[in-house]
Order: sequence, then C-alpha cells, then structure tokens
Amino acid sequence: MISGTGIVKTFRQRGDVLGKNEVKALRGVDFTIPEGGAISFIGESGCGKTTLGRIIAGLETHDEGEITIGGVAMSSLRTRAQQPHFRRIQLIHQDPYSALNPTRTVHQALHDPLKLRARETGRSSQWIYERAEELLGLVGLDPGYVLPRYPHQLSGGMRQRVVIARALTVDPDVLVADEAVSMIDVSLRLGILRLLRDLREQLGVSLLYITHDVATARYIGADGDMYVIYRGQVVESGPTETIINQPVHPYTQSLLSAIPVLYGVEQPGAEQVTPIDSLTTAAVGETVDDAGCLFAPRCPFRTERCTRERPVLGDAVPALQDAEGRVHACFHPIERQVAATSVQAP
Amino acid sequence: MTLATAAHAPEGGTTAPAVRIRDLTVVYKTPAGELPAVSEIDMDLPAGTITGLVGESGSGKSTLALSLLNAVQPPGRISSGTVEIDGLGDVVPLQGDKLRRVRGGQIGYVFQAAQNSLNPLKTVGKQLLDLGRSHDVDDLRALVSEAKELLGRMGLDGARVLDSYQHELSGGMRQRVGIMLALVLNAHVVVLDEPTTALDMITQANILEIIRNIHAERGLTTLVITHDIGVVAEVADQLAVMYGGRIVERGPVRSVLGEPRHPYTQGLIRAIPRLTGDIDQARALPGRPPTLGTIPERGCVFRDRCELRMSVCDTVEPVLERHADQLVACHAVAGQEPDGGAPTDDGQEQT
Ligand SMILES: Nc1ncnc2c1ncn2[C@@H]1O[C@H](COP(=O)(O)OP(=O)(O)O)[C@@H](O)[C@H]1O
Ligand SMILES: Nc1ncnc2c1ncn2[C@@H]1O[C@H](COP(=O)(O)OP(=O)(O)O)[C@@H](O)[C@H]1O
Ligand code: SF4
Ligand code: SF4
Ligand SMILES: [Mg+2]
Ligand SMILES: [Mg+2]
Repeated sequence: MISGTGIVKTFRQRGDVLGKNEVKALRGVDFTIPEGGAISFIGESGCGKTTLGRIIAGLETHDEGEITIGGVAMSSLRTRAQQPHFRRIQLIHQDPYSALNPTRTVHQALHDPLKLRARETGRSSQWIYERAEELLGLVGLDPGYVLPRYPHQLSGGMRQRVVIARALTVDPDVLVADEAVSMIDVSLRLGILRLLRDLREQLGVSLLYITHDVATARYIGADGDMYVIYRGQVVESGPTETIINQPVHPYTQSLLSAIPVLYGVEQPGAEQVTPIDSLTTAAVGETVDDAGCLFAPRCPFRTERCTRERPVLGDAVPALQDAEGRVHACFHPIERQVAATSVQAP
Repeated sequence: MTLATAAHAPEGGTTAPAVRIRDLTVVYKTPAGELPAVSEIDMDLPAGTITGLVGESGSGKSTLALSLLNAVQPPGRISSGTVEIDGLGDVVPLQGDKLRRVRGGQIGYVFQAAQNSLNPLKTVGKQLLDLGRSHDVDDLRALVSEAKELLGRMGLDGARVLDSYQHELSGGMRQRVGIMLALVLNAHVVVLDEPTTALDMITQANILEIIRNIHAERGLTTLVITHDIGVVAEVADQLAVMYGGRIVERGPVRSVLGEPRHPYTQGLIRAIPRLTGDIDQARALPGRPPTLGTIPERGCVFRDRCELRMSVCDTVEPVLERHADQLVACHAVAGQEPDGGAPTDDGQEQT
C-alpha cells in the first residue's frame, strides 16, 4: 500500500523572493493506493496531476506532507535509501516518443534495466533475453517484430506498450499512468487501458491513473476510488461510480458535463453544469489566491460565504459526506445527475 | 464586415456556400511510387451545415481538407477531381495570386495543432497585420477591430491577446486565436482540423460551443475533422467516416451514430468508453489503420480488421450505397435491405 498525507508542493520562479510568481501546485493532498487496487485523479490541465504523479514516483520533491510506501515513511529515510522504494513505483507518461531514446532499439531499451535486474537477483544473461520476450508478449507485442526496431518505426500505441514493458522490467508494485493514452487515437486507447487492467489482474500491480478524461478513468478503475482535483486541492473523492452518478461538487459536475454526449446513442444528464469560462475569470493555476473556495470564480452556485471561507475536504459541511467514503469540499453540496446515459434502442 | 475582401464574400448570414467534391484523388510521391492518400472521393458539404469528418490517424482527413484550399504540398498533389465552391467555382485549377486570396479570404483553415502553429517570434497582432497585408486589406484598422470583436465573442480580451506572444497564451486561447485568424477575413467556408485534440474536456466543450455559435451567427459552411467521434456528435449535423482514403459511411450525424451500418463506424463507436452502463461493452478496434503503402489496391480497404469479411471483399471495392438516411460502402450491408436501390451518384441526394 502507498499513501500520501498532506502533500504540498509550491513552485517558485528563481529569484522570486516575495513569492509573487509562486504556483501552489498541490495544497495538502491525501490519497491511498490499496495493494492491487486502482485509483484515479481527474482534473483539468494545470491542476497538479502530473506534479503529484512525479512526487509519488520519486521524481519530484515535495515541500510538506508524507509519502508512505509499504509502511515505511519516506521522510525517515535519506534520499539514497528512498530509491529502492520509489523504484517499485513506475511512471508512464503521456508521450511514449519522448520516453524512449530514439537512437536505441527496443532490445537495447529493455536490455539495460533487465541486466540490472538480473544482477540483483542473481540470474543469467540468458534470462535477460527470455524476460524481454516474455514482457513484450505480456504487453501484446510480437517480440520478433519489435525487438530490433527503433521507436520511430513503431506506431504510437506500440511505443506506449514498449514503455509499459520497460516499466515492468523492475517488477513494480505500482504503475502511475499520467495521461498515458491521450496521444493515441480514441479507437485504439482501450487496447492500452485494457492492458493496464489485465496487468493489474495478472500481476497484482496497482494503478494510479491520472487523466482529464473521466470515462477512461472509469474503464481503468470502476471498483476503486476517484479523486477530483482542482488547483492543487482534492475537491471531491470517493468510489468511482458514486462520483460519476451522484457527484455533489460543482467542479466534478462541470467536468462530467463537459464530456461529449454521443447524441443518437446517449442523452445528456438532466442537470448539467456549465462553469463560468475560466478565461473570463483568471486562468487555472493562477497566482492570485484569495481566501475563498478555489472554484468560486467559476462556480455558478457560489454564495457570499464561498468567497470568504475555504471549504475543507470532508469537513466543509456535514451534508453528503457519506459512510461509503465519499467526501467533498463544498459549502452547498447537491447531488446532480450530469453524466450522459444511454437512450433505449427503439 | 467592411473589409476589402467583403466584395467577394456573400452578404449577411444566409448565403453560406455549398462545397461539392467530385472524384477527388490526392497522391503522395513515395519511394514506392505515387500512392493515393485520398481515393476518388465524392462528398458534399451542404450550405450552412457543419460536417464532421472522422477517422483514425492516417486515414487521409487532413489531406482531403487541404484539397479544399488546393493547398496540398509536394510531395503530394491532387491527381484528379474537382472541388467546387459556390461563388468560386472549381478551386483545383487556381494558382498564384488568385489562390492566395481565396485561402483565408473565402476559405478559412484552422490547422491541426493550431496550438503550435502561431509564429512564436511575433505577437498575434503582428501576425494579423501580416495576414491582412498579404490579402491586400486596405483598412487594417477595421481588420483589427474585427479581430478584437471576434476574440471578445470568444470570451477573450481582444486587445490583450493581440499584444501577446504564443507562449503567453494557454492551449484553449491559442485555439481561439486560430479560429479568429481563419474567420477575420470573412471566410464563409471554414475547415477546422482537430480543433480540440490536446485540450482538456472543459476547454474542449468551450471551443465546441464557440464553433457551433459562430457557425450559426456568421452563416458558415463548416468542416470539422477529428479522430474523436464524440467531438463530432457534439457539433456536427452531417457525419462522414473516412478510412484508407475513402469515405465508407456518411449521413445525418444522429442516424449514423444511432444506427451505424459500416463495420468501421460500429467499431469506432464501440471504442468509446462511456460514463454509465456496462463498461465492458467498450472495446478497442482491433488491428491498426493502414499506411499509404499498406492500403490494398483492390477490394475493401477495411477488410483486414473486419469481422464480416467475405470473399468478395478481397476483390471488389464496395461503393457507397443508400440505406435509409445513410450512404454506406460495404458488401455485407449491401446484402441486406438496400432501400435506395442503385448505387448513388452523390450529386442528387443531399437536402
Ligand atoms: N517545474 C515547474 N516549475 C514551475 N511551475 C510548474 C512546474 N511544474 C508544474 N508547474 C505548475 O504547477 C501547476 C500544476 O502543473 P501540473 O502538475 O503539470 O498539472 P497537470 O498535470 O494537472 O496539468 C501548473 O500551474 C504548472 O504550470
Ligand atoms: N507529406 C507527405 N508525404 C508522404 N505521405 C504523406 C504526407 N502527408 C501525409 N502522408 C500520408 O498520407 C496519409 C494520409 O495522411 P493525413 O491526410 O495526414 O491523414 P489524417 O489527417 O487522417 O491523419 C497517411 O498515410 C500519411 O502518412
Ligand atoms: S463552496 Fe461555493 S463556490 Fe465552492 S464549489 Fe461549493 S458552491 Fe461553488
Ligand atoms: S466490404 Fe467486406 S471487409 Fe469491407 S467492411 Fe464490408 S464486410 Fe467488411
Ligand atoms: Mg499533466
Ligand atoms: Mg490529420
């Protein structure tokens, strides 16, 4: 199990002593990735998802809070001693092209980490070849075809599968997939997402899926928790199906309402919410930071209280913070049906 | 609308031009010879409608769209066919100055990845003036105020945006700038190539709403290109599905989505994960789209990925035939109740 409590990360421009240009990328985020489970973080660009994923994978430091991996608090360890823990968490990011060295074949890309692994586990060099083929088979690639090829000779989907195979070389406990399919055609995305689901089933690897696309998050982790993040704060979280079918936070409702409706097959949710256009207010991830609800400038339901006070996750008001694990940060929570539903075939 | 080009443009919002594409073939020169990326396509963009063109990467969407401006670049060329636009005639023979004026003046194009297609070294305003000069706009001040109005219409502070460089704008803002540049010379045919790819959902929804509204307000004929059928469902009236350089199905968007007939269209729709209902109904389309070199010369271009493949599919290319509201090119569908009878000559059927 991996958990985070109170994770804070602020980016400062160099030389910006007054903190005028600082960006509060994360403002105290809590999460739990259960053993073998799948959770998702959803939100618009700039809300802090990638920063969180990088912190969890040990690729970025954080200012406050604690990451605990398999019961070990990372703050209790020196950086060097943290590394073996963070290696159990592998990051797959959105651009499979930049993740692979263009001058190295797939064989070379897999060989190095496998050699390291072989040395650690006292295995032969023969094992390296067998394992490379096994991993490529596992991610649905034909080893004979891809091993000698360079990244540019493969399709986007194949490249992303190679990246996943490389992540598997270290036998990770967790895969962090950050917008892992956003550069792949819609028609082929489910192939990669299905693979992640299968890996979870077959290998017991946990998944942290990061996206702005709620429907793919549901596909990956319908049985897990969904965290909705806005400007560095989790504003609602709980079981994925609850968040989709009975969201209470206006930001969650806005995200769900923005998903294209397949007219002819689906009808829009009855109570769709359209946020105030962010461009007519200030941009997401802005530096101005007043005291109120972070979503208030865009919230169609804001009241005077919302601009004065900041709601706290799980503690804003008692209403609709339920026993099944759904919590929210809104002073005026109301369940709204915003997700599109299928129309019955005539 | 006090621009120099306004003389050529239809007046008011009611005169959106229709576009008729006939027998269009576009080839690219490759080491294996000239290969078609667009093959003998017939298609109409009815006046005043939004048509969505959907297909996976490499299916030929951008190539088809560039043909509307006669802007296919070497190693590509239009090897046959006509693209007739009301008020302009066939644009395929146009060259030089005449062609340059038509582009931007009558046909606006928002390029794929418009987010990155602005000049990083010039402000948006400077690029606007360059555009105006290259189209011999006399009244540049009117051009600027038209640009500000369009940007304002899209929720932006026009003056501020014109003073900005590309890197100072977010993805959603750049996309709006792209739309402004496509429309500011008063174009009435507008092509948007992947207008929301790489944007997040809320930004995408905003852009789609802008496209719908501006389309209606300005009386446009609009073509939206995307690999995401959900985007088309949101904005388009008509849907055309493209595969391997062919249109394999088209018709009113709700009919095609509600009752897709071509196995490819069915596969594209099934590949979209939904928010409600059984998640495992969604499935990726098996296989991969063809590249120029692997598009078969004979038979159905989709057969390698088709569950309904029959022996005739290997040898005979299916042609578009009418089925209720839709035109479908598939032997398996043709075997069912074709209620339109003979293969359709594309010219007559549009509303
Ligand atoms: N290295 C960095 N330096 C400065 N600001 C950063 C850096 N990385 C991210 N940010 C800022 O932090 C915020 C969150 O970014 P990110 O985690 O990438 O969000 P997301 O992945 O949700 O789009 C944004 O405002 C972004 O500009
Ligand atoms: N400049 C070019 N040279 C050679 N082939 C090209 C060129 N541009 C596009 N193609 C090929 O033409 C086909 C159609 O491409 P394109 O029109 O960009 O498709 P789409 O927009 O649907 O992704 C693809 O197989 C692509 O590789
Ligand atoms: S606290 Fe107020 S402003 Fe914030 S989301 Fe709830 S209603 Fe909107
Ligand atoms: S023509 Fe044949 S191969 Fe092509 S889509 Fe129809 S059934 Fe499938
Ligand atoms: Mg990100
Ligand atoms: Mg394209």
